[in-house]
Amino acid sequence: MTNTMRVGVVGIVFATLLAVLGIRLWTMQVSEVYAYEALAAKQQVRVVTTPAPRGDIYDTNGVKLAGTRSALAIVVDLALVDIEEIDLLAENLAAFLNEPASDIVEQLSAENRGAQITVARDITDSQATFLLERREDFPGVTVIPQPIRTYPLGELAAHVLGYIGRPNDEDLERKDVDGNDFVGRAGVEKSYDVQLQGIEGIVQYRVDAKRKVLSLVGEEAPTAGRSLILTIDSKVQERLQESLRLGLTQARRLEMDERAKVLTERSRSDRVAEALVEARLEAAEAPDDSTETTSTTSDVGVDDNDVASEPEPITVDPAEVLGPLDTGLPIDADGMCVPVQRLTIRLGGEGVLSGIEPRFVRLDSVAEMDGELVATVSISGTKTAVKVNGWVDKARRVLQVLAVSEDEIILLHKDPWCPVRATGVVLDPNDGSIIAMSSFPTYDPTVFVDGLSAEQWASLGTVSAFQNFAVQGQYAPASTFKVVPYVLALEENFYPMDRGAGDKIVGEGADQGAESEPVALQSDTDEYFCGGEFKFALNDGTFQRKRDWKWPGSHGLLDLHGALAASCDLYFWDIALRLWQERADDSGLDKENLLQGWARSFGFGAATGIDLPFEKDGLIPDKAWFKEEQRKETGRVRQGPWVGGDLMDIAVGQGATLVTPLQLANGFAAMVNGGTVWQPRVVARVVDSDGGVIDENPRLALSTIDLSPRTVRMLRDDLQQVVNDQDRGTARVAFAGFGANVDLVGGKTGTGEVIKAPKAEHFRQVDDALFVGVAPIDNPKWVVSVIIERGGGGGLVAAPVARQVLQYLVNGPEGVTELAPGSEED
Amino acid sequence: MRTRERAASVRMIDEPLKPDLVLVLTYLALSAIGLLMVYSATAPGLEAVGRDPATELRSQAIFVVIGFIVFVAMSMVDLVELKGFTGPIYLASIVPLVMVLTALGDSEGLAQRWIQLGPIQFQPSELAKIAAILMVASLLAQAELPLKWDTVARVVIVVGIPALLIFRQPDLGTTLVFAFVLLSMLFVGGATMRQLGFLFVATVVGTVGIFQLNMIKAYQITRLTAFIDPGSSSLDATYNQVQSEIAIGSGGLFGKGLFEGTQTNLQFVPVQSTDFIFTAVGEQFGFVGSLVVIALFGLLLFRLLIIATSARSRFAFLVTIGIAAMLAFHIFVNIGMTIRIMPVTGLPLPFMSAGGTVFVALSASIGFAHSAWIRRNSPVGE
Repeated sequence: MTNTMRVGVVGIVFATLLAVLGIRLWTMQVSEVYAYEALAAKQQVRVVTTPAPRGDIYDTNGVKLAGTRSALAIVVDLALVDIEEIDLLAENLAAFLNEPASDIVEQLSAENRGAQITVARDITDSQATFLLERREDFPGVTVIPQPIRTYPLGELAAHVLGYIGRPNDEDLERKDVDGNDFVGRAGVEKSYDVQLQGIEGIVQYRVDAKRKVLSLVGEEAPTAGRSLILTIDSKVQERLQESLRLGLTQARRLEMDERAKVLTERSRSDRVAEALVEARLEAAEAPDDSTETTSTTSDVGVDDNDVASEPEPITVDPAEVLGPLDTGLPIDADGMCVPVQRLTIRLGGEGVLSGIEPRFVRLDSVAEMDGELVATVSISGTKTAVKVNGWVDKARRVLQVLAVSEDEIILLHKDPWCPVRATGVVLDPNDGSIIAMSSFPTYDPTVFVDGLSAEQWASLGTVSAFQNFAVQGQYAPASTFKVVPYVLALEENFYPMDRGAGDKIVGEGADQGAESEPVALQSDTDEYFCGGEFKFALNDGTFQRKRDWKWPGSHGLLDLHGALAASCDLYFWDIALRLWQERADDSGLDKENLLQGWARSFGFGAATGIDLPFEKDGLIPDKAWFKEEQRKETGRVRQGPWVGGDLMDIAVGQGATLVTPLQLANGFAAMVNGGTVWQPRVVARVVDSDGGVIDENPRLALSTIDLSPRTVRMLRDDLQQVVNDQDRGTARVAFAGFGANVDLVGGKTGTGEVIKAPKAEHFRQVDDALFVGVAPIDNPKWVVSVIIERGGGGGLVAAPVARQVLQYLVNGPEGVTELAPGSEED
Repeated sequence: MRTRERAASVRMIDEPLKPDLVLVLTYLALSAIGLLMVYSATAPGLEAVGRDPATELRSQAIFVVIGFIVFVAMSMVDLVELKGFTGPIYLASIVPLVMVLTALGDSEGLAQRWIQLGPIQFQPSELAKIAAILMVASLLAQAELPLKWDTVARVVIVVGIPALLIFRQPDLGTTLVFAFVLLSMLFVGGATMRQLGFLFVATVVGTVGIFQLNMIKAYQITRLTAFIDPGSSSLDATYNQVQSEIAIGSGGLFGKGLFEGTQTNLQFVPVQSTDFIFTAVGEQFGFVGSLVVIALFGLLLFRLLIIATSARSRFAFLVTIGIAAMLAFHIFVNIGMTIRIMPVTGLPLPFMSAGGTVFVALSASIGFAHSAWIRRNSPVGE
């Protein structure tokens, strides 16, 4: 190869290298120029967002329930802070804000580089001035006005409003939400979050590589969120809340009175003796039962929860009879019972268990055993070793371990008999509007604006004050549910088996007209004997026994109408029993599921779809559900077949039946309004900041049931009798002081048995008190449901609460009289 | 070839010393564009901190003037006379390379590459490149053809000593310049394909060995590997390259215009007046401007190859090839780095990157080539 050729080769190599550069430049600068332009543009523009004020929330009369105010916030623009300065800045801010430096360092961590971090909200003017005068100590710190949520009426309608907080993972999946935002976490703040949120303002700056601002590119002011007009009437809401509070206090007082009676009036030995007598009585009846009942587990058997089938020997443990009453249960400063108290004890420290006679708890030591922490605590000198979730005193079960750590134990001092909560709903049966909704204990949503403190969480969280029990609480509807078999009886012409002197035409009277045909099956009797005890033959010829709430008393002779007014269990059991016994007949009716079908048609057993989050379904049990639970082994049902007794339990709203307070009100509304099930709603419309309507939220009928006008009229009349019948209406005592227009009011009591106790230990029985009221009865405008959890008798404690609310609705604010207990009736 | 050379010398023997206008004008044009780019890249930043925006321009202009004087001076030096001094020059270039590794060396970034001589910062590796080229050329010029293995070995040692010293600084880019120059000069100097193949394999094995033996600093590996996938790392090296790529890519066909380069003028691209100066060209003048610059470099290299083939002596021929190879490698690696087809190595762009030593050294080197052109027809004093 000659020199020239070799130089030529070198030249070709050089040319190739330069050509490679040229080709690459062509692809970058000509073919893909747009992609690079976009990248370049993105780098030079810095976008700063300004939070939008959340929309306001008003009640139906324009009273502001939630708004915003402007407050000064400390914002650190991390783009303006050098990495070396971050620690110093965090230290200074921590000192200034009196917070642990580690918290601030975490907020200013490297992952947030370039972001704007709000480290403090709502500082004072003088604090702001201090910061701005010492910029060199606080690099990158700015003070900017930020909107802050306010709730001018505090606790009013807190459960409907909900609260706001930092977004959780699910919220963060939304495109418009980042970790610095506040989003609704409950109530309409959550369900209407998108409308309330507004649109963040955007300021775009042109910046250089050091992020120094060169010029303003564009600015878009934030758009305030939309406002909500609720269906809530704050005046009624206020009345409901006050009555619920009074009602719960009264229930607790009654509970304390009962305990005092147990502890003082009757001596300990008396009660032990009484318990022994009862136990003997039960035992004496047992042989009688066993001769009649050849098989309690036959497919037509009845659950034997209520039946004392325990054979000999008969012994009574005095400690069992007295329960924990003599060892002390938690009380508050007023000497009232409290359902649960939270107690944190440090290692080697001591805590006080409140009670009539306070006790001292010491945390002696914490040790690890088999990977679990075991704490040794001593109460009045007695040492016990406990693990998390364990009970300090297994027999009494009032002191439970919530958490154990190396140097601390958290105990829950529980009173399982203390009335825990009062929940109420007022709605308009003509369109499903919620006029008031609350449960007590409640909270002020403002506590969430600055984040919940540990003490607030301990005091409010422990009693679940933040949950809206009107839609999240599930209770056995008990006797209030008797309206379902009542409607079934009238609509299906289906009555109990005749136990009385003779048949009688239903709906006798001149106004029946052509509707009443004297057909044999269409019969009701006013001589149905509603005794205290219900003995009934099963298909296989054996006998079962159930007891009415009035046992050992009796309701005497009555018909369907009397049965509802007096809340006779037997009558409705009998309807269920007949449905069960005729379940295989050729009527073409699915009688086994007929009762549940009617219950579901009024919206029971399914969420109503109200515009509030976390709504529960409730439960209307049936055979299919029962089998499914057994198959999945959820532990919620017993072994064996689904039996007639289960159906009988549903007829009186017991067994596994569950409803929410909202479903209860809405179901009654559908019955008394003629058969329309409305979808409940709390938001009437969404408006923009000028008041222009963006979205109407009109009433929506979920379904319409073809109820005969006669059924509706009769139901209204009989509900009116519950309140007005001076002989046997179960709510008559509660409504005795109602004043004018009491004849316009109807309702139904209910007492849900949570823990059933024998008569001698009556003080240990736990009942939920229920009442559903309707007014005016001839053209209903309001349905009120009240549930007092562990409150006691529905007629005793729930009906008086509803009475105050109905007094307010019917007779105005002046018509409301003081709360007083009703009668201990179902 | 000899016949043609002789014939030419007969024809042009009496002509006076005439400069290669194309070479000189290309050199001056690139220097002028370089000055403009340095100014456009540094003025906004200087202005922002309240300094005279022309500060950097002024110091670079001084280097250009000095460089041009050196260029003219070297053009006057007859390479034949220089040939006798290649040994001392070579030895003299090694001394500061050793010094830079001692306490005298100044470090910039993570490597020690500078020596402080009074007020002047001096980069000895620039001088070493030229000294090595001269030394290799004189060795190969005396050697018989075809080259013997011991000649090749001697040449490798001559290049290897400064290359290893520079590698220790560490400056991987410059070390690779030595390798490229060595291979180019051996190729045109008459090495056999077998010798070249052996050296090539040795280079590859050596490079792999360097990586395997962890003789290379971690940041160098990062630089070398990061360019393959810049999104994977947020290290400075990658940041520079990504910013540079965005700046050039967003320049488009005709560029954003002088002083309108948002990326360059807003200082998104670091070290833009030195290693990343091409970014300023690409962004402000676009594809067309970039192509003009590359064409000027192409013209320069073309002239150098022409000069080489017309050199009257084998020494001048080899020196010119060595210089052309050195420049070509700088150009390709530097521009390739700014458009992310080569790793970040810190090689400056000839005549355009801000920096005194490199400008003066490269001016001197093309001064030697120019000298070869001017004296292409003089009698060979051999």
